[in-house]
Amino acid sequence: MQFSFGTIQSTEFGVGRDHPDGQQFHNITVDGSVQDALQEMATATWDKMQGITATPAQYEPAEKHGSMEHLVLPLADDLAMLLRDLQNAQNLALDNAALSDPTKVFCYFAKMTDADGRTLIALRRASQFKGILKNRLIRVVTDALKIIEDNVFKLDHDYDFLFDAENVHILRPSGFEFVCKLQQAVLDAVPNNIQAIETDLDAVDFTNIATYASSHPRAARYLASIRTQEIAGIDTPALKRLCRNTGVEFRSVNGKIIVEDGHVMGLLEVLDRRRYEVKLVANTPERFRAASRSKLEG
Amino acid sequence: MPKQERLGFARLFMVLSSISPLFIIWAIRGTSVIPDEYFISFCAFMVAIPNGFLALRLITARKLRETRELTIGRAEDHREHLLVYLFAMLLPFYAADISSWREFSAAIGALIFIVFLFWHLNLHYMNIVYALFGYRVFTVYPSEDGNPISGKSTFVLITRRTLLHPGEKISANRLSDTVYFDWGE
Repeated sequence: MQFSFGTIQSTEFGVGRDHPDGQQFHNITVDGSVQDALQEMATATWDKMQGITATPAQYEPAEKHGSMEHLVLPLADDLAMLLRDLQNAQNLALDNAALSDPTKVFCYFAKMTDADGRTLIALRRASQFKGILKNRLIRVVTDALKIIEDNVFKLDHDYDFLFDAENVHILRPSGFEFVCKLQQAVLDAVPNNIQAIETDLDAVDFTNIATYASSHPRAARYLASIRTQEIAGIDTPALKRLCRNTGVEFRSVNGKIIVEDGHVMGLLEVLDRRRYEVKLVANTPERFRAASRSKLEG
Repeated sequence: MPKQERLGFARLFMVLSSISPLFIIWAIRGTSVIPDEYFISFCAFMVAIPNGFLALRLITARKLRETRELTIGRAEDHREHLLVYLFAMLLPFYAADISSWREFSAAIGALIFIVFLFWHLNLHYMNIVYALFGYRVFTVYPSEDGNPISGKSTFVLITRRTLLHPGEKISANRLSDTVYFDWGE
């Protein structure tokens, strides 16, 4: 983490709002007590992450993640484009009326600067922020309970993710995916991902795969994941053999593999190392598909 | 610009603070239509309260840590604004004849219009008091970084610095939505 929690010099609060022109981010003035609470949330988030693991795995869009994990994603990654813009944004628009319609608020965040001028942004999906408006809250006034008539906004105990100038540290992958509109982001990235993969893997014809993935988020997520895998050195006969052994139907035309309709996901799972065969029992090969997997080192 | 400039009451007192030198001059000159003890008391009130409020606003912003990390795009030192302020307000009012009720009422009426204009046009940063304490007033324009999230508004920075460099980051207290104060420590 390129940030020092012990030397925080300033903390700014802001919200993200849905707008017909897209997502908008605004600063809102808060006093010192709120700033302290926002800092405590950031420290609690980092402590939770360190409690899970100090060496986080890289976030992969195709992976089925748990509700709470410590994952990391380079801020330079295409999937973090929104966060990169937010990290580099200067003098966010100040709008203290941004909470006048809390139903439009999709996230809130704290931007902290340490003594070395390094910035950390901590962000949380605004479910509690909105939810509290639907509840009827009461408080003690003298010795009687009264309904709170003002709008009350409840901060959470921690954030969904933190990001410094280099990396996004994710605690709740679902929150990260929601705020970054990841489903749309991976669908939009399909042409670029196909182009990048084709460059390294010319043994496969991706025409029908591109068509399928442009409207199927899971396939689009696999493509985003495959792009980060080692594909330049894939051995074509080995690829064909694994496809045959795991039930992926294809045909070869002019030396290229064209996957049959209905087997696109199968081929993508093979390329993303999610479909494999195990032969622990003699003459009884078993095929598996992994919703989640992690590479064993060594 | 922000959708709606807030802190209207605070901005009004900051404008009143900016015209307080006029009341000092009027108190020295006096008027034949109001006895000195009342007129000087009124002028003293118009000097002390707005400037007291300005000091309170500065202290409150600092105490509540109303701080923002501001990035300088392009900055212009608007010292000439003080000249405009002097010529537009102080000198004409100084020269105004307030020796009859009619003239005095006209001067007060004109002053109310000017206060409204200063308040409405967010000119509450124009204040000789800042210059007296060695502060300069810069108008800062946003840098054209192509980032869709970056703010597009200009703001005013009151600071002891003599130069502001593009890309420089300054931590400043918020006096209003468009005016920030750099204590320069």
